[in-house]
Amino acid sequence: MDNSEKQILDCLKIDSAEKLFSDIPQDLRISLKGIKNGISEMELLSEASLRASKNSRGMISFLGNGIYDRFVPASVDYVIGRSEFLTAYTPYQPEMSQGMLQSLFEYQSLICDLTEMDITNSSMYDGSTALGEAMRMAYRINGKKKVLVPENILLNHLSVLRNYASGIYPEFEFYKMDNETGEISIEDLESRIDDDCCCVIIYNPNCYGIVESKINEIVSLKKSALLLYYYDPVSLGLLKSPGELGVDIAIAEGQGIGINQNFGGPTLGLFSFMKEYARKSPGRIIGRTTDKSGKTAYVMTLQTREQHIRRDKATSNICTNQALMSIASSVYLSIVGSKGLKRIASNNFANAKYLQKKLSNAEGIDPCFFKGTYFSDVVVGLKKEVDVEEELLIKNILGGKKASSVLNAIPEKDTVPHFFTVTEKRTHDEIDFLSGTLEVMK
Amino acid sequence: MSYHQAVYDEKLLNEIRSENNFKFKDADEPDLPKEIVRKELKLPNVAEFDVVRHYTRLSQMNYCVDLGIYPLGSCTMKFNPKFADKIASFDEFNGSHPFQHESTIQGTLQIMYELQEYLKEISGMERVSLQPLAGAQGEYASLLIIKKYLEVEGMSERTEVIIPDSAHGTNPASASMSGFSIVEIPSDKEGGIDIEALKEALGPKTAAFMITNPNTLGVFEPKIKEIAKLVHSAGALLYYDGANFNAIVGITNPGKMGFDLVHFNLHKTFATPHGGGGPGAGPIAVNRKLMDFIPTPFVDRDEKKYFFNYNVNRSIGKISGFHGSFINLLRAWAYIKYHGSDGMHNNTVHAVMNANYISARLKGKYESVSASLKKHEVVVSSEKTGKKAMDIAKFLINNGVHSPTVYFPLIVHEALMIEPTEDVSLEELDRFCDLMIEVLEKDVLYLQSLPDVLPIGRADEVKAAKDLCLKWN
Repeated sequence: MDNSEKQILDCLKIDSAEKLFSDIPQDLRISLKGIKNGISEMELLSEASLRASKNSRGMISFLGNGIYDRFVPASVDYVIGRSEFLTAYTPYQPEMSQGMLQSLFEYQSLICDLTEMDITNSSMYDGSTALGEAMRMAYRINGKKKVLVPENILLNHLSVLRNYASGIYPEFEFYKMDNETGEISIEDLESRIDDDCCCVIIYNPNCYGIVESKINEIVSLKKSALLLYYYDPVSLGLLKSPGELGVDIAIAEGQGIGINQNFGGPTLGLFSFMKEYARKSPGRIIGRTTDKSGKTAYVMTLQTREQHIRRDKATSNICTNQALMSIASSVYLSIVGSKGLKRIASNNFANAKYLQKKLSNAEGIDPCFFKGTYFSDVVVGLKKEVDVEEELLIKNILGGKKASSVLNAIPEKDTVPHFFTVTEKRTHDEIDFLSGTLEVMK
Repeated sequence: MSYHQAVYDEKLLNEIRSENNFKFKDADEPDLPKEIVRKELKLPNVAEFDVVRHYTRLSQMNYCVDLGIYPLGSCTMKFNPKFADKIASFDEFNGSHPFQHESTIQGTLQIMYELQEYLKEISGMERVSLQPLAGAQGEYASLLIIKKYLEVEGMSERTEVIIPDSAHGTNPASASMSGFSIVEIPSDKEGGIDIEALKEALGPKTAAFMITNPNTLGVFEPKIKEIAKLVHSAGALLYYDGANFNAIVGITNPGKMGFDLVHFNLHKTFATPHGGGGPGAGPIAVNRKLMDFIPTPFVDRDEKKYFFNYNVNRSIGKISGFHGSFINLLRAWAYIKYHGSDGMHNNTVHAVMNANYISARLKGKYESVSASLKKHEVVVSSEKTGKKAMDIAKFLINNGVHSPTVYFPLIVHEALMIEPTEDVSLEELDRFCDLMIEVLEKDVLYLQSLPDVLPIGRADEVKAAKDLCLKWN
């Protein structure tokens, strides 16, 4: 027993700390037999390194479908590694947390600049749960049941959506994609939108990775339904913003703007909406105000929507969010800037095109499985009998996921569709290496 | 120790005048129809050196655990060990993709498997899902499991979830979001479960009873076994909110107490950093009868390898995009491995000692609102001192000590909920207690003028909600 411990026990007038647990009956007591005693930091680091060494290194990644191997400037990890941000709690005492609050206010502003939407909240857990929350918000706004979902939706998103539907019992209806272009079938979508429609979920780039060439027309079909627009933030370096398109709620996975792949978590759910829906929206929101002497101040606001005040009537149960990740995305966007983001987006389009071009003369490979324009994820048709993923591993290449393992639906054609994702990080040499390997495999 | 935070009149990013200097390789612009291309993008135009300086200055206007005691009750602001950050920065871990072939991520899977085993042992449950991304999401996933279990067992008529009035707001919010109706029961005089009220609320419509133990007043529920028996004989399930788990790690566990399922807050119990509000991680653990309902996949192993097991017959499916907040899972793994069973037990004991020390030092100064023996936190009321909890909070922050949680739990007037954790020296505990006592002698008008050494005085929250300004111009 050290000195402090003794002083505390003396103050408590007990001789052993064990007495502090006298209220827990003996028959409820346990000991953690299955866990060993602690080890030193040196031993821990060696245990961790041992496990790290069992992960493959130096692989060239062509994986995507939600998480992307994108470039992250070194300054991003520096800023979010600062203890003052990393080890702070939710800014419940605004006067001693102005740094965090201003940073979150700026995050909201930056995502509004990017999307040209009215309001952005101070983050959701990830893209999939942002989508689920957006559907629930749409239901709170119009109380309608029908939710229109693209037939090729990502399987993980569909599963999360179904779970976020608990308690509101929507009817999911799938609208068709055009099997030639890989874009939304406007005719089919139009036929399904009626007055009972709660919301339409539109992905752009869509889940095949294709940019919708007729997005203006698609958005104009919504009638009284709300339009939930799932975008890729990097693509907005070039593509028309959801705000300009006039969508109601814009959501995205924010991993691609300044966050490592992290094996899928933590990432960041971007969540923006039109201002008339502010009081129906989920999640934390930071507002600008003044202190009593008129100095600019930032605080958490509209808290009467949140669980700690409104309890079972809250717009969401979310409490812990992704504050630190939202700072990462802010640092990224401000370092990269408008021109930089445009350039990064262009590199994605260019690499997708380059991959298609490289594969265009290979026998048994169809790089134009769909005719549309790809941004980052690319669908490539391959001959049926090949187990591409495992064969590529031998060459240190990650990628070639069967589209049917990732998407809810994919058309049958002469070849089997597989995903190869290129980002701004992939070099021509790497893409050449991939195409060369695929050609030999055929 | 006097305290002054850095005070900058820090401009907003979009007001900083310096030219963006980011370099990136050129590429041809894609050939897209004009009408789908954006006309302009107006992100701030700032040089990288100014971005870094901006955020460094902002960081200096923010309190954090690395500066000192942060005794927010129920939030469990432990010291966040730096070894965990170091491991989290390994490329092999943070550079991998969730769809990577299992043979290329054996180390990652091993860590997830080991963490599952640790959490099983710590909770006394049978199977763990690491997928939920925060405590509230763990609650929501658990309620979906309860719902599906009841459906499968032909008990869909059970639509009510009972929750004590002292519960965290996320409990009723999660239950309501998953489609249950809420039956709130009052607490007894000492803040514990009112058994008679519980008996009255339980019935053929009860799906589950959600509680935390120790409760929000920091007191271990003495009748927990009786409660479990009552809930189960009424045909309902018992849910453990893990927000206060750090008070019992290595001493008892939810399995022993008769709970059916539980969520963890890794950012509380296992000291992963809170990041100014997140990311956290909220794994869940369930007992045998709920094993087949957890989200898929979980990590399993055979003689040769670790792998994702999707074979969960009645799984609710996915609750988040991928495999959970992996980097925080990794940090929690490091915490458990470093401290081990002896260290974690020791941490529990010290957290409880520290809370009881604060309770003893404040005795007679503040009204204590629960039984004398505390676990990890202590709730006092300032109502009879004539001082507002909010004024006390502002006095504390003015002196460089983060305030306790104020005005929660809702059942206590002028509540101050104090959780020191184990990572505080006696000197720091005394400084906190001295300030808590000193403030009672201060003039109310003076207190209302505080804080006065921080970047701003009291912020006008009414104005913030009335004249909404949620982004820069």
